[in-house]
Amino acid sequence: MEQFEQLLTCAICLDRYRNPKLLPCQHSFCMEPCMDGLVDYVRRQVKCPECRAEHRIPYNGVQGYPTNVTLQRFLELHIEITGELPDPTSGQIMKRCGVCSEKAYVTSCVHCEKEVCSDCKGAHMDILRREIARINNQVRRALHRLSDMLAGVEKNMLTLQQNCTSVTEEVDEIYRRLAKALKDRTEHLRGEIDRYLSTELKNLCNLKENLDIEISNIQSNCDLADKHMQSDDVEWEDSELMDAKEIFLKTVDFIRNFETEIGDYSRRAKFLMAHDPNQLVMHVASYGELTIHAPHQAFTASSNSLQAPSPGLMRSKSDHRLASQYRQDERNAYEPGGEIGGRVSPLGGRKFGERYQSRYSRGGDRNDYDADTTHDNENRSSARSRIRSRLGRHGLNENTDSDTDSRSVRFSETNTVHRERERVLDTEDVAKGPLSGITRLCDSPRVMKRLLESENKDKKSEATPKPQPQPVQQPKKVTPQATPQRQLSEDDEIARIKRQNKTASTSSDTERRDRVSTIKRDDSRDSNRSNTPADSARKTPAPEPLPTDTQESSESESEEDSVEVVEQRKPTPARTTFPPSTSAATTDSRRSSTASDNLASKVNTRLKSNRSDSIESTCSSETPGTPVRRNAGGTYPSDEVKQSPVSSSSGSTTPRARFSSVSSKRDSATPTNSRSYSVTGNNESTSKKEEIEDEEEEEEEETETSSESSETDTDEDSEDAKPKTPVNKGMEKTDIGPLLARSAQARDNGSGSNSSSRRTSQDESYTRSRYGTSGYKSPSYQSPREADTSSTASGSKYLNNTRTEPAPRFTSRFLKTKSIQEENPSKPSYNSDNKYTSDKGGLSRSRTSANLEEDLPDDTNTSTYSPYSKNHYGSDLSRSRSSHALKSRETSPDRPVTNASAGTGEKDGAALSSWARYLKNKYGNRGKENAAKDNAAASSASSSSSRRLSLGLPLRSNSTHVDSSDDDQKNMHSSPTSHTIIEAGMQGVGSTPRVQYLQKRQLLFKIGGRGSEPGYFTWPRGVAVGPDNLIVVADSSNHRIQVFDNSGKILKDFGSYGNSEGEFDCLAGVAVNRIGQYIIADRYNHRIQVLDPSGRFLRSFGSQGSSDGRFNYPWGITTDALGFIYVCDKENHRIQVFQSDGTFVGKFGSNGSKIGQLEHPHYIAVSNTNRVIVSDCNNHRIQIFDVNGRVISSFGTEGSENGQFKFPKGVAVDDQGYILVADSGNNRIQIFHPDSTFLRAFGCWGCGDGEFKGLEGIAVMSNGNILVCDRENHRVQVF
Amino acid sequence: MSVLPRRILKETQRLMQEPVPGISAQPDEGNARYFHVKVTGPEDSPFEGGLFKLELFLPEDYPMSAPKVRFITKIYHPNIDRLGRICLDILKDKWSPALQIRTVLLSIQALLSAPNPDDPLANDVAELWKVNEIEAIRNAKEWTRMYATEN
Repeated sequence: MEQFEQLLTCAICLDRYRNPKLLPCQHSFCMEPCMDGLVDYVRRQVKCPECRAEHRIPYNGVQGYPTNVTLQRFLELHIEITGELPDPTSGQIMKRCGVCSEKAYVTSCVHCEKEVCSDCKGAHMDILRREIARINNQVRRALHRLSDMLAGVEKNMLTLQQNCTSVTEEVDEIYRRLAKALKDRTEHLRGEIDRYLSTELKNLCNLKENLDIEISNIQSNCDLADKHMQSDDVEWEDSELMDAKEIFLKTVDFIRNFETEIGDYSRRAKFLMAHDPNQLVMHVASYGELTIHAPHQAFTASSNSLQAPSPGLMRSKSDHRLASQYRQDERNAYEPGGEIGGRVSPLGGRKFGERYQSRYSRGGDRNDYDADTTHDNENRSSARSRIRSRLGRHGLNENTDSDTDSRSVRFSETNTVHRERERVLDTEDVAKGPLSGITRLCDSPRVMKRLLESENKDKKSEATPKPQPQPVQQPKKVTPQATPQRQLSEDDEIARIKRQNKTASTSSDTERRDRVSTIKRDDSRDSNRSNTPADSARKTPAPEPLPTDTQESSESESEEDSVEVVEQRKPTPARTTFPPSTSAATTDSRRSSTASDNLASKVNTRLKSNRSDSIESTCSSETPGTPVRRNAGGTYPSDEVKQSPVSSSSGSTTPRARFSSVSSKRDSATPTNSRSYSVTGNNESTSKKEEIEDEEEEEEEETETSSESSETDTDEDSEDAKPKTPVNKGMEKTDIGPLLARSAQARDNGSGSNSSSRRTSQDESYTRSRYGTSGYKSPSYQSPREADTSSTASGSKYLNNTRTEPAPRFTSRFLKTKSIQEENPSKPSYNSDNKYTSDKGGLSRSRTSANLEEDLPDDTNTSTYSPYSKNHYGSDLSRSRSSHALKSRETSPDRPVTNASAGTGEKDGAALSSWARYLKNKYGNRGKENAAKDNAAASSASSSSSRRLSLGLPLRSNSTHVDSSDDDQKNMHSSPTSHTIIEAGMQGVGSTPRVQYLQKRQLLFKIGGRGSEPGYFTWPRGVAVGPDNLIVVADSSNHRIQVFDNSGKILKDFGSYGNSEGEFDCLAGVAVNRIGQYIIADRYNHRIQVLDPSGRFLRSFGSQGSSDGRFNYPWGITTDALGFIYVCDKENHRIQVFQSDGTFVGKFGSNGSKIGQLEHPHYIAVSNTNRVIVSDCNNHRIQIFDVNGRVISSFGTEGSENGQFKFPKGVAVDDQGYILVADSGNNRIQIFHPDSTFLRAFGCWGCGDGEFKGLEGIAVMSNGNILVCDRENHRVQVF
Repeated sequence: MSVLPRRILKETQRLMQEPVPGISAQPDEGNARYFHVKVTGPEDSPFEGGLFKLELFLPEDYPMSAPKVRFITKIYHPNIDRLGRICLDILKDKWSPALQIRTVLLSIQALLSAPNPDDPLANDVAELWKVNEIEAIRNAKEWTRMYATEN
């Protein structure tokens, strides 16, 4: 036998012959790959491996050799004898694998839609498994939402029951009361009538009796008189006769005079009703109504709640109306004739696990127990499909997945995996979730089969040692029909089959049993099937009846949602404190040009002006802080703050100032106050930084600290506490914004939509302004004169302002935007546009009104901003105060320092002075806008104080504006339309980052490829986003920077190899600061270079070394809103922080793996909440520091699970705090929530779209597009 | 590293299951294409009693090209040079895919019993072998004792 087998073995592959080809020397070898490999292509010869005979190859290649038919017969015979399984690849022809491009027997892979070899396929299946695991994790994590909802629904059921019972009781009670009253009254009336009747009756009876008596008496008298008086029969005495006569006279008299009241007794007693009986009946009949509060806007509500809260399952929450709608669609699609648009019907008669058009599908070679049932099922299902379609249990999955569905976000990944492919798991036999249409996998026959198989395998492996009893134990496995095709190649399996064949009787026996069992199973499945519709019917009796219920629940969800928003905001009170100023400011700038026609209510005007004043003064009063700080240079951790009472009180200034801005002018109006600021402001900015964080952490504590620190003036202290309340009130109001909005929306759609449009435009202007360039590039900005004017205090003052202000402002503004944004995007799909906009308008309105003025009446919506804006500049108050503040600053002891520092900054045209210039320029514009003082201010060489006066005013207004930014104004000057354009552009893209991130997977576009010409890269490393979403790439091994526009078109490139100015040596990180300067980590030159926006060299700092300000392979680099430069000093395992002019500020981190230590930190990012995010590469984690280098948190471990890293490189943070990590070792991008919890990941190794080889830097654009440097592929991919 | 072809797996399996007498080939733990080979000196040859270590490497296109085999143990043999390289036709131009690891090793074992000084690789050895076979054999025995025996 063994020899026989050996004869069937190819000498080359040592395997059973596959397609044996006979050489002229009579030796046979497999055609592929054996014979193929023997070919000497040069000589077109084959040398027989056995006898070394050389043969010419036929014209059409080795396949031209005759097939060794005899051998093939033997092979078949062998198979028949041994019962061995045929080679699955027999009859197939080798092709190149689509993935590894090796020649192999390929099968089509569902994952990548390529023909791939089994190994690659295995890998892909692993990927799928992992993906499933990952998604499953997500599902698991998100499942609690459903259970929460379930709990909610249960609770709702309970409360509904309670509600109904109580209502029923109420109704009963009313009924009882009414009935009792009715009964009482009725009885009373009846009694009255009875009594009346009886008395009357008695009277009448008496009368009757008396009359009777009278009549008889008189009758007898008459008779007597007739009989005896007229005759003389009887002797009457005269007196007797006289008496008789009298009696008769009396009788006559009586009869004549007697009048009984023989009135109309028929109407004696009347029943009069107090009310019209008909009415009364009506009243009673409708004595109460059941009002059922159907919360309106169910869709909005649900979509809101769906969008915002968590990355959980969205679609599963899809309300059944949607589902039914899809069902409807689907029915429409199917009834005409099954499939439309070539899309594969998810039903199509297929079952779970069948391949579409695959060779398994047609039952012929189906194996096992399924074989019997299959046919039945098919028939049945086709027969039933119509019924079911009416019941609406079609594959909702597929439909809701359709591309148009904007809510399919979460599932996009799974879907794309399965889309357009065979839906093996979704078949109509399967019970599906009535809401989501998600199939229950374990109902699917395929799954059942698989599970059973594996179970049986287990069982079998246990059972095989035992000699005989198997057939009974596993009747299901023993379908005789299936044996030849059986795929199970286990030896025992074969043995068992053989055994079976021998013992036919047993097998037929088992077969019968098998049948029975399958039939039974079939039955049970049937019953299942018949059950499920009923189930679903029970759960959702009809799409309509439920709405109230779900609406309620969704309503509550949306409430939760808003609560969430509140919670989000709460931890950052500093931000929320500010909205009044910021929103006011933005609108204001806008208003002044566009909406000047709006009416201004005077009350508002005054109110606002006051408020703006206070804000302004706050800002101005804060200003003096920085100089000293700069002077102090290294006072990075603010130890000094505590040393002097002055400075400690300065700690409190910030919150105080902030609160005052909202609440009252008292604060700012008092000169002492502002003076104290200017005096105490020394360490303000440092302490402020801390405070920002403190505030973020604990609002309460802040008040405490401020009260503690402001010992010097306790009066203000109390003020501190007071203003807080209005702020909070404002917050609360904002928080109920969505609700307000909903109610408001009913009232005024028009105004709502109006304001909504404005709102979005604000958002836009804001987002733009963050990256806006036009302001930076303004012509005057470059001019030296401007630099001069910006010198000394004023210049640095502005700097201060922006320094201290922007961060909180941004965030507050942005937070708000976000909360709205999150709610928005889904709306259009479910609501009419009108509702959508109005809703949004309501939102914005309620929010802004709450922020700006609590007492703003509803209808002044449109005029909300205008008075503010008008008064903003014009108010005398503010002017006088500003001058006051400025003067007080001038007298402050800090001033010289300020001058000096400004001077130094100016000296080399450093960023500091350019900051100043830029800011100055900005304010100068403002001035122009106001009073056309610009020219005067600019041209005159007047004293700085007067200039400051002229500038001071706008400055102050400006400082409240930082986020609205100058470029905003620019636009207003130049083209008012540009806003709308930008809006239109931005709105579509940038709305909900979170949702957006979940959608990320598909490549938007990619830039470059290997090469050194412009637009190509060699090992791109750092990437940054510049103003106007410019894409800036550090093309490391081409030693240059390349700049692309936001669509990937190359704009310019600069830099070359070398170590002089403007030359690079394998630069790594790149950053762009707010004024468009490029900051470059010139890696092998161990220095940082700063280039101006046009690519000209400005300065460089650093050299190789490990002391402060020196580098060892600086890598990632970033800059924060204040212009500080953070450098990943990779080989020194630390982060160094510099001022924008290159002055060393501080450092943190040391080599190690403890918290706070770093090992080869590669990239760094700073959020706008001043969280410094560092990719601690060799520790496989991300660490988050505060700006002082204290660890806030750290997350990630080594691994490839979600949330784990392998050598994380690039990090980026978007303006909402979402953290993006280029997980280089895992070749994927991971996205985390601001709280560092995992959101999602995508990407894998490879060179295709969305695949990576060695990730480096990552950056995120303001519209949420993710840029990533795909190093080994020498390209930048954009998602 | 691409996947191991079935043939190599099969050969390895068979080598382990049915080892050739006097020959053992163990695949390296880290590289299944690299084998640690030990060949005993054939009887009635000057190498009798010796245990010769070889290394064998299956190149990427094996079996279409010959395995690379080299003596690690020093051996005094006209067809094996002092670096251990073997002059054997089937390892060169006479390679055939129908040959296997075991056949190669058997051939090498056979080469030990039948040195071919007419096709020398180590010229000095071959010279001596031709001129003074007795001394050559004595040298071979000496080397075998020195290098190819335990301890």
